[in-house]
Amino acid sequence: MRGRGGPPMGRGMMRPNFRPGPPFRAFIPHIPFDLVQCESTFPRAKSAPEEKPFTEALLKRNVDLTPSAPEQASVLALVSKIQTILDNLVVTPGAFEAAQIEEVRQVGSFKKGTMMTGHNVADIVVLLKTLPTKEAVAALGSKVQEELKLLEPIEGKVLTMLTNDSGFEMSSAEASVKCLITTIPPNLKKLDPELHLDGKIMQSHLAAIRHSRWFEENAQHSSIKVLIRLLKDLRNRFEGLQPLTPWIIELLSHFAVVNHPSRQPLAINGAFRRSLQLLSAGLFLPGSVGIADPCEQGTVRVHVVMTLEQQDQVCFTAQTLLRVLSHGGFKQILGLEGNASIATEMSVWEGVVVTPSDKAYEKIEKKEDEEEMEEDADESVRRKTCSVKQYQNIQSICHPETQEDADES
Amino acid sequence: MAHFVYPVPANAQPGTAYSAQPAYVAATPAQAAYGTATPRPGQAYESYPAAHATTQYAYTTRTQVAVTPAVSYDQPKAYYQPAPAATAYTAAEAHYQTAKPVFTTGAAGFTAQRPASQPKPPAVQVTTASQSYAYSAASTPAVNTYTSAYNNPTTTQSSISGTSYDAAVYSAASSYYQQQQAAKAIGTWAAKKPGTQPFKAKPKGPPKTPQLHYCDVCKISCAGPQTYREHLEGQKHKKKEAAMKGAATPVVRGGHNQLRCELCDVTCTGADAYAAHIRGAKHQKVVKLHTKLGKPIPSTDPVLVTTTGNSTVSVPKATSSTISAVGAGNKTVAKSTTSSVNIVKKVVATPKITFVGGTTLRTTGAKTEEVKAAPEPAAAAKPAEPMQTSSDDLKDDEHLNILGEKDVAPVGHEYIEEVRNEQGKTVSFNCKLCECKFNDPNAKEMHLKGRRHRLQYKKKVDPNLQVEVKPSIRARKVQEDKLRRQSQKEDFWRRREQEDRWRDEMRMEEEMYWEQHRRYDMEYMHRGPMGMMGPRGPFGAGPGPMIRKPESSDDRHVNAKHAAIYPTEVELQAVQTIVSACERALKQTSDVLADSDGPKPEEKKEIKKEEATTDAKQTEKVKEEPANTNRVLKGVMRVGVLAKGLLLHGDLNVNLVVLCSEKPTRTLLERMADSLPKQLATVTEDKYEVKRCVEEAAIIVTAEKEPNPSCTITLTSPVMREANTTEGETVSVKDPPDVLDRQKCLAALAALRHAKWFQARATGLPSCVIVIRILRDLCQRVPTWSHLSQWSMELLVEKCVSSGGPNMSPGDALRRIFECISSGIILPGGPGLYDPCEKDPTNALASLTNQMREDLTASAQHALRLVAFRQIHKVLAMDPLPPPRFPRQRFNNPRKRRHTGSGEGTEEGAEKKEKKEGEEATTEAAATTK
Repeated sequence: MRGRGGPPMGRGMMRPNFRPGPPFRAFIPHIPFDLVQCESTFPRAKSAPEEKPFTEALLKRNVDLTPSAPEQASVLALVSKIQTILDNLVVTPGAFEAAQIEEVRQVGSFKKGTMMTGHNVADIVVLLKTLPTKEAVAALGSKVQEELKLLEPIEGKVLTMLTNDSGFEMSSAEASVKCLITTIPPNLKKLDPELHLDGKIMQSHLAAIRHSRWFEENAQHSSIKVLIRLLKDLRNRFEGLQPLTPWIIELLSHFAVVNHPSRQPLAINGAFRRSLQLLSAGLFLPGSVGIADPCEQGTVRVHVVMTLEQQDQVCFTAQTLLRVLSHGGFKQILGLEGNASIATEMSVWEGVVVTPSDKAYEKIEKKEDEEEMEEDADESVRRKTCSVKQYQNIQSICHPETQEDADES
Repeated sequence: MAHFVYPVPANAQPGTAYSAQPAYVAATPAQAAYGTATPRPGQAYESYPAAHATTQYAYTTRTQVAVTPAVSYDQPKAYYQPAPAATAYTAAEAHYQTAKPVFTTGAAGFTAQRPASQPKPPAVQVTTASQSYAYSAASTPAVNTYTSAYNNPTTTQSSISGTSYDAAVYSAASSYYQQQQAAKAIGTWAAKKPGTQPFKAKPKGPPKTPQLHYCDVCKISCAGPQTYREHLEGQKHKKKEAAMKGAATPVVRGGHNQLRCELCDVTCTGADAYAAHIRGAKHQKVVKLHTKLGKPIPSTDPVLVTTTGNSTVSVPKATSSTISAVGAGNKTVAKSTTSSVNIVKKVVATPKITFVGGTTLRTTGAKTEEVKAAPEPAAAAKPAEPMQTSSDDLKDDEHLNILGEKDVAPVGHEYIEEVRNEQGKTVSFNCKLCECKFNDPNAKEMHLKGRRHRLQYKKKVDPNLQVEVKPSIRARKVQEDKLRRQSQKEDFWRRREQEDRWRDEMRMEEEMYWEQHRRYDMEYMHRGPMGMMGPRGPFGAGPGPMIRKPESSDDRHVNAKHAAIYPTEVELQAVQTIVSACERALKQTSDVLADSDGPKPEEKKEIKKEEATTDAKQTEKVKEEPANTNRVLKGVMRVGVLAKGLLLHGDLNVNLVVLCSEKPTRTLLERMADSLPKQLATVTEDKYEVKRCVEEAAIIVTAEKEPNPSCTITLTSPVMREANTTEGETVSVKDPPDVLDRQKCLAALAALRHAKWFQARATGLPSCVIVIRILRDLCQRVPTWSHLSQWSMELLVEKCVSSGGPNMSPGDALRRIFECISSGIILPGGPGLYDPCEKDPTNALASLTNQMREDLTASAQHALRLVAFRQIHKVLAMDPLPPPRFPRQRFNNPRKRRHTGSGEGTEEGAEKKEKKEGEEATTEAAATTK
């Protein structure tokens, strides 16, 4: 009897530990509704509406947004020159003393083939072996400028070099190239805000490299690129969608086109509508599983870079647009007609009054804030501990293109 | 120069040659000896592989020399040595240094260093003796110098055991040297001279006889013989002298990287400092004095050479002196450094600069040397000489560089800011990396090359920059420590491996043993009373899912709301009563009607049976009297909220459907309505009011007792539907004239099907019923939502929940419904809702106008965001729930208790209290989530 008492007793003792109760509340993300995933559950009860005009409008818009051949050529010319110069610096480390370059990579919309017309900016990330001091960046900038002038002395193009927080930008009359400076990861720890470029920005540039690699491997389908362009355009025109970063848009486009039970890429009209549906269904709301960033370790939901307010804003703008779209307002949504007021003002479509959605998010009193933590640990923690500025930083880590493509807006 | 060296050892210890070790080793020391060649040799040592034993070199060299009298090529070798540019300080290095002095002494005859013999005691002190240089000022410095040097060698005794032979070496060396010199050196040197020229400048005539009274020991001059004598008798002088003689060499402080100006007896920490010293007034003064005195350095070469000699530090000079055999009266001071390493005896030859890492620059130069040197040993002495010269030239260049740069390239020009005054003249410099300021442009160079700056540069700019490690004792200890730890680790792993192996071997036995035990235990446990295992069952099964899916705040709100809208016990009871009364009464009515009607046509029978069997499944209340085939009222069934169990608080109207065997007519309705009250009276004592409602095809029974539940009994028949689906014409023809409203009947039929569907699909779905109840409530409350029909809402919920994965929590499910509507499922462009209960594809939402759809969607969208932003209570029209408080009560966490205290402390006013509690609870929630 004595001996038998052992094991059960042990179990009994363990119970409090074994069953910790509410303190361990894991965050279980909510998987938002996605019509495309549930198609079998929602068979069409009526014939599909005529989509041809919509599709045509989408394609037309895409053509408008794609930069013309000369534009692309001028950017390409500048990019390849700079790339050559930088590559030379990589292979002959002795030639330039202020810094040593580990690697040079093209990133951003130019590299990805999602460049928009009127935004002839290409991005190159320069990975330094040395630490990115402001002086080194300036020296590198002037070196590149010098070499550029050597390359084409006759043309006499006006080349300007401007340094900024993320590196330097070389611009000619019709194109410009942003050289985003970063350093090898082991150096990131050694950064001193006084001397060097900001570490967050450095990280964001590293992330940009990952992003362009991911994109190259996963998002080469042209529907995705077209959708990215369209969504970027949407974002530029509707203020409510501003918080969407290029990286989020890319992931969303990829998700909308490819993430499908049959794995067949959706047609552009379906994908465009689906993006709005996903946004409306709260894909990027707190608590949602969202889209996990494929370029970050662990599971980082891309939308957490947006503040709660921004998440609300993006969501309700998309919801309004979705309703307008379903009532036939695609021309206004695509910017072929009308203006952006449809997202913010009441409009009438075939007798149906569409009232724009309003924000649901309320300024956090402390109480609510903390309640937030129960489930949405990450967001609320961030919100609680971060100032707005830090928030921006976090944002920039995950979404470098905020800088890269900032002027697209 | 090297010549000297070789001979010396050879003579001294012909028999001692230990092994044929690299000949060049010897050469180096020789070089050093020449004076001054400090940096040079030092470097050589540094780079030298640690493997060699010190003493051996010395001997080896000698041996070789003895064998090959061709001295000339040895020198190249000396250069060669530095070639292996490498390694930091090691014990070997120390050895080299030790070795060096020997040669030095031998060759130049200045200072004698006692190298330790092979077994070197850890701490060896080296004596430095500065000797008087009796240089006969030779016009050809080379020969003369040497000779003189040899004449005056001083031996220094080392404190080390086993060094005694040195003296012998020296004397031997000198004698040999003299011979050598006489024999051939002159020619050699002559040839070399041109190469040396640039450095050497002009050889001067012998210095004038010293008129000054100069004290060698103290390096001061005295005004006259009197004072000189006084000085000599003075304490200060005595002390110094004693110190010198007494083997107590000034131990170099700090040790490694110091340079020493022999002339002034000043130690500098770096080449630059040294250079500064050389430039400095004090040094100049001493030089001047020496020049005046005709003391060794100045005497040979009053201006240039002296400087050279002094600046010995710099490699190039050393070379030049070597070549020219200037013998520039350099005194080599050997310093000994003691280090803790076992064999480490460090005797540092005077100019130790070399350590400072000239390695890189060195390397190239050295390489060329190497190439040159290689053939030389084979060649005869004479032919080799020209080559030597050339190599010397090379050297010179190289050395020039080194002199300038001291082998370290300055880094980080960009970070030096020039501070200018108003005139734009640079007044000072500011190094941004090191955050230091200085005024001297020279200092700028020095700074850029300096260790501290380089370290900063490494830290802040280029992590790959090589900064030489200061071989401090501490660093060495750390290094050793590291090595030791590593070996320990290796050891550990080795042992671990062994253990593993061993364990593997043992495992067989062990396993067998434990296997037995386990079997025993299991049997034992099973035999035990079930009570023992009992708790485990419920424990494991019960809380399992709950742990997996913790109740979220949404869930709590939904559940709370659900509890609020759930009908009360009284209501349920009342509804139950009226329904059962109606059912029983209907059965009796059916009986009555059947009796009165008499036999009916046979054809109806089949239909009736069919219906009956299907109905039997879901409603037990079906009245079935198979025997009585001609019954008009075949059965009664619950439909709507009653059948689905969706009754809400306040819902007191329930529906029953009576299936008729043929199309229900007004007549039938009248008859039933007439008969019902009687039958009701028989089955129950409660009072009921029966109302006929022909346009609804229904009879409404209302209880007079509170809370006045009512029951709507609709008449229908499956025949109605068939008629509908087949040709309406024929049916209508057959229809009795007073048939009841067809739509109503069809609706009743549909309700029947819906009830069946519901029980088949929705009832078993977790959260589904709860959410439908919640939405029913919403539809009743919110006008926008009232357009959404009950059925389509149920359909929607079921689809959402069933497609949302298993085990949705109520909160999640509700959110998903809103998401679904938000994503435009009911908007005009959406797919609509396919009705599974209709034969034809039917959109359950067809009745909605576009505006309704729009409004519904907008509302759902807002609701969704409210839910997402923690305002679900607004959607549910309830007060926000305070977060759960049970954790605090259950666990006695001190922190939580503190909160409790504060909460209770301010318990004034209910309102305030509630607020407090909320806050407090939230903080707890926060704490618990952490």
